[in-house]
Amino acid sequence: MKTAAALLVLLFGGLLVYASLEFPAWGDPMAPASRHVSPHYIERSLAETSVPNIVTAVLADYRGYDTMFETIVIFTAGVACLFLLRIFGRRSSESRLYRHLPTGITLRISRGGAVPLSSKEFERIDLQWVPYSVVVRTTCRLIVPFSQLFALYVIAHGHHSPGGGFQGGVILGASIILFAIANNLRASLAWFSEKLAVLLCGLGVSIYVATGALSFLLGGNFLDYGTLSKPFAMGAVAARSLGILMVEIGVGITVMAVMVHLYYGLASAGRHDEGL
Amino acid sequence: MTSQLPAFIILLPLTAAFGAFFAGWWFRKAVYPLVVGVLGLCVLLAGGILHAVFDHGSLRYFLGGWPPPVGIELHVDSLGAFMLTLVSSLSLLAAIYAKPSVETELADRVALFWSLYLLLTTGMLGILITGDVFNLFVLLEVASLSGYALVGIGRGQALLASFRYLIIGTIGASFYLIGIGYLYAVTGSLNMVDLGRLLPPLYGTRAVQAAFIFILTGFAIKIALFPLHAWQPDAYTYAPSGISVLIASAMAKTSLYALIRLLFAVFTVDFITVYRPLFNFLGWMAALSMIAGSIFAIRQRNFKRMLAYSSVANVGYIVLAIALVPATLQGLAPALVHILNHAVIKACMFMAAGAFIYRFDRWDIGEFTGLGRRMPWTSFALLLAILAMIGMPPSAGFVTKWYLVLAIIEAKQYPMVAAVFFSTLLMIVYFWRVVEIIYVRPERSPVPTAVRVEEVPLSMRVPCVALGIATFAIGPVWMAGILTPVVTAVNTAFGLGGQAP
Repeated sequence: MKTAAALLVLLFGGLLVYASLEFPAWGDPMAPASRHVSPHYIERSLAETSVPNIVTAVLADYRGYDTMFETIVIFTAGVACLFLLRIFGRRSSESRLYRHLPTGITLRISRGGAVPLSSKEFERIDLQWVPYSVVVRTTCRLIVPFSQLFALYVIAHGHHSPGGGFQGGVILGASIILFAIANNLRASLAWFSEKLAVLLCGLGVSIYVATGALSFLLGGNFLDYGTLSKPFAMGAVAARSLGILMVEIGVGITVMAVMVHLYYGLASAGRHDEGL
Repeated sequence: MTSQLPAFIILLPLTAAFGAFFAGWWFRKAVYPLVVGVLGLCVLLAGGILHAVFDHGSLRYFLGGWPPPVGIELHVDSLGAFMLTLVSSLSLLAAIYAKPSVETELADRVALFWSLYLLLTTGMLGILITGDVFNLFVLLEVASLSGYALVGIGRGQALLASFRYLIIGTIGASFYLIGIGYLYAVTGSLNMVDLGRLLPPLYGTRAVQAAFIFILTGFAIKIALFPLHAWQPDAYTYAPSGISVLIASAMAKTSLYALIRLLFAVFTVDFITVYRPLFNFLGWMAALSMIAGSIFAIRQRNFKRMLAYSSVANVGYIVLAIALVPATLQGLAPALVHILNHAVIKACMFMAAGAFIYRFDRWDIGEFTGLGRRMPWTSFALLLAILAMIGMPPSAGFVTKWYLVLAIIEAKQYPMVAAVFFSTLLMIVYFWRVVEIIYVRPERSPVPTAVRVEEVPLSMRVPCVALGIATFAIGPVWMAGILTPVVTAVNTAFGLGGQAP
């Protein structure tokens, strides 16, 4: 059976290679792919959208509908992970462990005992608690703000250089995950709560869809950012650029929130305790 | 306002999916009314689109105001409008049906369930409405991803089933993506109408041939045609009842629609006429699927699994009808007839199966004894659906087989007639067993003298019975020619056939 499967894979792989032999040469300027729609994007995207980065113009404007649904794919992945993985409700049966920070002594408080929700001297820990390195923590504290600033730059500068909502969102999400890895999930949840992550997951895609739907109300087709010129008192071309920025921000928010949420869910098997 | 309809039918379930997601955290009671209200509106909008398409011809909607092929367009023709009405109605009925079981089984994640349900619906409606091959892939991803999650929350081995579905389904989608990548390399376009115009001079090239094979194989996986059906029985069996109904009826038909659209709008009938042997091979695979699916179905004890294998057989009927298209004047008529008929019949059967599980937790056919008296309404609906599936006149299944056999005879592929009859014979074997156990065989355990009627809640019973009655009502509807204009319009749009059924 395995041999048959391997043969089938080879057959299809061979078919792909065989068929691709007839492709236009690599980088051929006369290839159909470079002569049909590409000239329009290359020659007119700056004049039509005032975005120098052609990739961004194609991604967020000419084919903005695809990008909207790609963002929704990410949102769906976030919802799916929450749906399948998250364990809701608090289990009250167990005892809780607290670590006294100045001395490092661990206290076990059994059920019924009064437990502080938060305290400066005590830190709530789980059985699989491991000590955290001061070096790692300090380094992360230094790196996180810079990576977040860079993420905002990548989102905002997508019009001019490689970047945009997806890339910036990933960097922004990674900075929060880095914080969670260097500290622990409880500290991270106290800083960036689950409800906030959930709110931002939906908010980002909603910004995208709302930007598109605004064109409806202004009398254009869905995602026709040119119609935004009326409320924002600018030319139709500049309005397209503005619309692209709005949807990129939406994409960035959703990507960031979904990444953080996926990490929270996967790192703690859906329990949102101390995590990895 | 008509011109904005195509965008509305996508945006409505989409924004409602966000609404259900937020409402789950902050205003839980609003979720279900929102879902049913929005799906009801979708049915109305689909009806409006169907009406508009027949009044003014197909609707083309340029997203972002960019005309294709530079931008993406929504393109609703008569086939798309017909499928929109079917899929949105099934989605509404399945949502009404799913409420009681979802609330008991998924107490704390009901809102997430409905959010994913609406995303699945959005994905399906989006596939039916798009005029762009890459956009179709993106929406297939949205629909599949939410489908995997919804299957995975079921009981038993659902997670494993969902994982297999995910792996195999993703391979299918990737095959499709490779296919359109090849088409793009030789044409430079992603728009369906534009591709249909650019491809004819390239029919002889290897890239186009490979693209055709990859797209065909990709969709054969998605529609679970034998022998590429391995993901399907487990996924249908272990999914929550409401989701089994939706993916077995609407989702499977949406993939079939995409296949038809790619075959006849992008590759067009001229390509198929050139590569007839390939199409004949498809016909033989379909015949194999019809028989193998039925044989597997006979071996099953689990009712939902048996229905899943029966779906493999029925997809065979539809694919056979598609394979016969170039050889018959009926065009797509037999395929369309069975797409509608099988969607209705299978939805009703999965609803009945889910009702038996909901009330008595009975999964195996052997345990169905006495259900005819305990659950008279559901059992009656199931009986109607089974009779329609077997093909009792004047039911839906009879019409299917009538058209199919006529098309086969016209195409002079007589062995296929034998395949249809043999598969029907096997169908009678495995379905009649169910009827016999439900209605005739006595209960093993000490039978109480007066059997109480223990029906499922009305919200489950009404959609099930309504679909059960529909299985018989559709037959006369087809025979009276009420839906003939749809079929004629579809055939005309694709340049197929010559006469209306």
